[in-house]
Amino acid sequence: MVAIQVDSLTKRYGEHVAVDGISFQVEQGEAFGILGPNGAGKTTTLEMIEGLRKPDSGQVHVLGRPVWPDPRSVQSLIGVQLQSTTLFDRLTSRELLELFACFYNRSDGSERAQLVLEQVGLVGKADAYADDMSGGQQQRLAIALALVHDPDVVFLDEPTTGLDPQARRNLWDVIRAIHADAGKTVVLTTHYLEEAETLCDRVAIMDESRVIALDTPAGLIASLGAEVRISYTEGGEEQVAYAHDAQGAVLETLEAARQRGAQIEGLSVRGPSLEDVFLKLTGREFRE
Amino acid sequence: MTLSRIGATTLAQMRMMFRRRIVLFWSLVFPIILMALLGLLFGRSIDAGTITVIDASHTPASTAMVHALSTTKGVTVKTDQTDVAHARKQVQDGDRDALVVLTKTPAGATAAHLYYSNASATQAGIIRGIVSGASSRISVAATGSPPAIVYSQQSVDSSSLSYIDFLLPGILALAIMISAVIGLSTVLVTWRKQGVLRRLKLTPMPLWEFLVARVAASLTLALLQVAVLITFGALVFGVSISPTAWAAIPVALVGALCFLVMGFTVGSLVAEPETADAVTNVITNPMMFLSGTFYPVAAMPAFVQTIAKVLPLYYMTNALRDTIVRDRGLMYVMPDIGVLLAVTAVLAIVSLRTFRWE
Repeated sequence: MVAIQVDSLTKRYGEHVAVDGISFQVEQGEAFGILGPNGAGKTTTLEMIEGLRKPDSGQVHVLGRPVWPDPRSVQSLIGVQLQSTTLFDRLTSRELLELFACFYNRSDGSERAQLVLEQVGLVGKADAYADDMSGGQQQRLAIALALVHDPDVVFLDEPTTGLDPQARRNLWDVIRAIHADAGKTVVLTTHYLEEAETLCDRVAIMDESRVIALDTPAGLIASLGAEVRISYTEGGEEQVAYAHDAQGAVLETLEAARQRGAQIEGLSVRGPSLEDVFLKLTGREFRE
Repeated sequence: MTLSRIGATTLAQMRMMFRRRIVLFWSLVFPIILMALLGLLFGRSIDAGTITVIDASHTPASTAMVHALSTTKGVTVKTDQTDVAHARKQVQDGDRDALVVLTKTPAGATAAHLYYSNASATQAGIIRGIVSGASSRISVAATGSPPAIVYSQQSVDSSSLSYIDFLLPGILALAIMISAVIGLSTVLVTWRKQGVLRRLKLTPMPLWEFLVARVAASLTLALLQVAVLITFGALVFGVSISPTAWAAIPVALVGALCFLVMGFTVGSLVAEPETADAVTNVITNPMMFLSGTFYPVAAMPAFVQTIAKVLPLYYMTNALRDTIVRDRGLMYVMPDIGVLLAVTAVLAIVSLRTFRWE
């Protein structure tokens, strides 16, 4: 069953087209990633699906219900972690969660609060104020708040931005558990290639307001038609080549260099990644 | 369900508010410190001075007037003069502070004429207040059947109050105003700037519920201010609290509501928390000095008195003073409450039209 249906969604800010007629579907139970550099239109897309930003044209359905014109019809079905929410000070994690459960008219607020605290690994900080917690803990609290009313679809907008590598990896485990153990549909935006590759069943790559590719991470990489990526530096410039056969390609590269009397450095051979997909599609390097 | 939601939200708002020590300091501790300091600096009572009374009419009313003035705290009455011109000269020279001449009109009524010096505006205002207060009291009483009138000391005028009695309601009004304006302006702007309002917009709870909860929490703080300041005033500073003081509760609630809506208006119009603070100061500071918080409005120049009458704090201060220390009940302060409600309604319309989520 389709969890999210996006058809020709467009948003303009004056002359600037932030999202340019994009369409895609997210299946129920899927972990779906929107990957792209800053300013690609990821957050605007997400906010139009969540009901925070009204699209100029196009349609969004969540679990069969139209989000616009009245986003209230989907509010209890979705849980949202916004890119930057400083939450109320002087309320503890548990109090905040119970308060949010109450916003959704749930009578089992304290049980739900305990459950999601366990889900995001924040039981030890249940009675701490948000401003006394680390960045990673605050993000986990924001995710817990998105989960407290037991929604079917969870939106995470750049959940690991600004976190150190260790905190990022911890948060990945939390997101995997929400998706795999709790069976939620998860839609996340990210500008970390590795994050999209490791967390998502399917990834939509956005660039300059459009979706330029959409497939499983493996499918996107396979679309390069190459098994290996060979890179080296020659005369200060980085060269990249893709090939099927690692051994043959390396030998060929070295032989060619020898024949033209060139000195090559930093020869590296590895499997291709989403970074290479982005490079191939846009002709630009992906800058995280 | 909605009621229980508002209840839970109000509880959360109260936690957010009362867990901030700075809020408790400004709303409860600072007013007490201010009251203690001003009480110490300016002594226990305002001395109205020495008034010469020339009674040329000898009516029951004039006798009553002399009695009323001579029993007013802080007033010394001298009846040693008979020549009006000479007595006026004494006032001009500063030997006496005022002169009251009581004469019989052709119609048989008693006329009181007050001569005073503007050398001290404050004192002149106090004397004007005392004499006009006394004469209006007697006029009212004179329409009743028994001409003999019994006067209690308190009922004459505000100026017969000791300074600390006068000060307590003023500081209470000031404290409620500042807590209420800041309680919604800066907070609203900060919530908007930090994205809290956007996050709330994603939940099924309507914003008005969240605001109602905030207002309920702020009104609770106002009630706490009434209780703490009156208790402190009575027990520590010896303020004599009128039996009508319970009427201060509705006055405080309506006043707090008015200033909360004022804060909401500021919060709706302004984008940055720092700007909200500045605008709040621009609004509250003049009100603090022009609304009779620290000294009687009657003692101020006429144009200041005109300004005072358009300031909501003036009406709140008046109504609190009337009910807490002047023995006046709820019905007496209804006009003040009406003005506060009207200001609230106008501000509510403005703010609802200008409110923004982001």
